[in-house]
Amino acid sequence: MESQKVDMFMMANAKFFEGHQLNAIRERLVQMDDDKWPMLQTVQFKDPTTALILSIFAGNLGVDRFYIGDTGMGVGKLLTCGGIYVWTIVDWFLIQGATKEKNMEMFNRAFMF
Amino acid sequence: MNKNKLYSFILFACFIGYGWLLFSFQHEHQIQNQEFTVCLFKKVTTFPCPSCGTTRSVLQLSHGNLLSAILLNPFGILVALIMLVAPFWISYDLVQKKETFYTIYLKTESILRKRKVAFVLIVLVIANWIWNIKKNL
Repeated sequence: MESQKVDMFMMANAKFFEGHQLNAIRERLVQMDDDKWPMLQTVQFKDPTTALILSIFAGNLGVDRFYIGDTGMGVGKLLTCGGIYVWTIVDWFLIQGATKEKNMEMFNRAFMF
Repeated sequence: MNKNKLYSFILFACFIGYGWLLFSFQHEHQIQNQEFTVCLFKKVTTFPCPSCGTTRSVLQLSHGNLLSAILLNPFGILVALIMLVAPFWISYDLVQKKETFYTIYLKTESILRKRKVAFVLIVLVIANWIWNIKKNL
């Protein structure tokens, strides 16, 4: 793919991924065909900041985990009121990392081929 | 979430769950009389969350009172089921070197993600929450 397009994508979407993954993503994109560009634009990544805000305000209800697509964990959080609040607090620190991991999985799934 | 992470997490969670249950058993009298609240949500907003009463519900189940358990909080039945079944199922998987629990977990997740299913469940959760508030848990 044209490096201009790759740079545009990286600038707009760097915050959705962990720092150490950005290089690998860039490499992958550079090797990709140009006709993948429309597909690349339609993938919706989850915003780590939104996830953090959800975690702080509605962590007990598991809304943060539901947001990033971790349905099973979300149900567990909901049933136990955020694991008697302990899990809620732990997730305040883990949720941004978890969001970025999910985004990476989404990216890999979309562009495995 | 890969298989090993999930299994360790659930086993750990069940372990904590049983520990919590044991603790609650010893303080059952205080919990039943509402002198003891562990929920920060309730302390701050003074009204209960959707899973309020789950511990009490599970305690009732352990005494064999199915009806009281449902009336307190239906979630208790779900929690009790999971806490009973999961450790055995996961151990079976670990011993037999299979992935049956993991496969079913993923399948359940994809079912729960469907709009219609999610909508119905959300309505049920909110209904339970309103019921909790009405019961003044």
